[in-house]
Amino acid sequence: MQGFAAVKSEMGEYWYIRPGLEESVNDYFSAQPEADMALESQIPEKDFNQAGKGSAEVKNLLKRLGVDPGILRRVAVAAYEAEINVAAHSLGGMMVCRIYDEFIHLIFKDMGPGISDIEQAMTPGYSTADDMVRELGFGAGLGLPNIKKNSDALHILSEHGNPTLLEFLVYFNSDE
Amino acid sequence: MSKQEKKYFHALHILEDNCTGCTSCVRVCPTEAIRVRDRKAQIDPLRCVDCGNCIEACTFHAIIPRSDPLDVINNFKYKVAILSTSYFGQFTEDVSYEVAKQALYELGFDDVQEEAMVTQFQVDMIRDYIRANRDMRPILSSNCPTVVRLIQLKYPSLLPNLFQLEAPMSILTRYLRESIKQEKGLKENEIGIFLIVPCVAHVTAVHQPEGAYKHLQDGAFSIGMIYGKVREHIKRLQNNPPDIETFPKGLMWALSGVQADLVDCEDIRALSVNGIANVMEILSRVEDHYLDQYDFIVLRSCTNGCVGGCLNVENPFVAMSRIKKMIKDGEDKKIDVQDLVDLYHEGEFDVAPLSSRPILELDKDIKKAIVKMKKLNEILTSLPGLNCCACGSPSCYALAEDIVQGKATIEDCIVLLRRHSQVEEEIKQEEINSAQDKE
Repeated sequence: MQGFAAVKSEMGEYWYIRPGLEESVNDYFSAQPEADMALESQIPEKDFNQAGKGSAEVKNLLKRLGVDPGILRRVAVAAYEAEINVAAHSLGGMMVCRIYDEFIHLIFKDMGPGISDIEQAMTPGYSTADDMVRELGFGAGLGLPNIKKNSDALHILSEHGNPTLLEFLVYFNSDE
Repeated sequence: MSKQEKKYFHALHILEDNCTGCTSCVRVCPTEAIRVRDRKAQIDPLRCVDCGNCIEACTFHAIIPRSDPLDVINNFKYKVAILSTSYFGQFTEDVSYEVAKQALYELGFDDVQEEAMVTQFQVDMIRDYIRANRDMRPILSSNCPTVVRLIQLKYPSLLPNLFQLEAPMSILTRYLRESIKQEKGLKENEIGIFLIVPCVAHVTAVHQPEGAYKHLQDGAFSIGMIYGKVREHIKRLQNNPPDIETFPKGLMWALSGVQADLVDCEDIRALSVNGIANVMEILSRVEDHYLDQYDFIVLRSCTNGCVGGCLNVENPFVAMSRIKKMIKDGEDKKIDVQDLVDLYHEGEFDVAPLSSRPILELDKDIKKAIVKMKKLNEILTSLPGLNCCACGSPSCYALAEDIVQGKATIEDCIVLLRRHSQVEEEIKQEEINSAQDKE
């Protein structure tokens, strides 16, 4: 994970970092220090009763920590979107939440089948959701762009036919 | 913290002599405000949202709603009652709207006004507000004091979404105070304006309004408290029905679903939610931006809306059916609200933005909060996880939190205590056995 621009997109990998945070994000990803607190939850495939529970738990945890309400909402939205994405589009996966005193790092790993074109998936309105998912009211094609909008750093690692890794950071004291 | 914090008034109190420490109330409190300590229930005034769940759950009459004694009206020269719309759902169908209303005059009021009078005006105001604040979705109704307090405590990020204008009874209060002063030539302190309310939260709101710029009401009486007296007057009035003004179409304010239907129109989508558990689920989804397709959400803590208030006499479904019938049978008449519209444009009904009172946070400093959270999780793993409430806290999680905050100790867990004493006994028995073996 060597130096990268604020937005970098290659076959199978996508990076976005909010301008001004490059150094801090870089340092974090190269050092990967142990988290002050960690939380894990499973995301079963197409289980929409279960999906959303993990992000709700994260939200409650952040309320306990007294995180600013505006920041809390950004984390809530991004985490919920990401969780629903895994439930709706993958063969199931898991969420790992790592908490530090300055930011939260959320990691979503699934068991495939991967995103064939990340650039396209980042376009608002683009969706591959099947009918079942749409009937449940999800799949409007706003998932990934929404995650990006609400996070300070976003990293996606995915290829068609392989598992996907999506991780993002939200800083607790950022101005937005 | 507690000494500097403002003292919060709540319209309910505990009769210690009646309290058995059974924890029924502890289990039903949506904000985990109640603990049993020394075998008596205690309510944390900073956490209580006046929902009334504990009053209904208590079978020992140990949690009692508080409202003002009726004779306080005698402190005023001119006495006005403002009726919550749910009042009219409390009587059998042979009691007419007019008779039910006239009975209030018989209690000693000089003027009886209804919340229902301003319903249509309120709806227009809400629509106006939504259209002027399109960037904020959804707008959350602020009429239910319990919901407003719940948002301050548990969903502070949604405070900007609250509808920031007074509720019907307060609008009416402002209007009446001004108009009576002028018409009757009375001074402000000679006019007593009182609410007849269906729930504890409205009594609390009268004594401790959130966001109000001016003095509002002078007291509140519960429907349940005046019901007995009112019925006696009704019996007498039945033979001689009075001819007084009524507002049948406005009665829908008491019903949360009908209210949302009323606001809903071509460019406004409204959703209705009632019952405090449903309200909390919906607020959490609003937080996730998953209900942004709605422009307005009517949120009521009680079943079916204000007809479900715990100080009513009638069941919320029966009361709702009666009010619906009155709306259906009633005539639609034009109510002149020009005075109200003028006051509205003058900003008379504005309320101050509310501040949050986060009850969930473990510490103001995030580093300390993380340390506490870790300790909490550690304690939690050692607790039995039965959520039995025997310690007096609502759940094992809450006990762990109480321990971290220095409000309880691990010895409060009776299950652990028993397990420990069993282990100790086994060890003692073994010692005795081995001692006997040696002999």
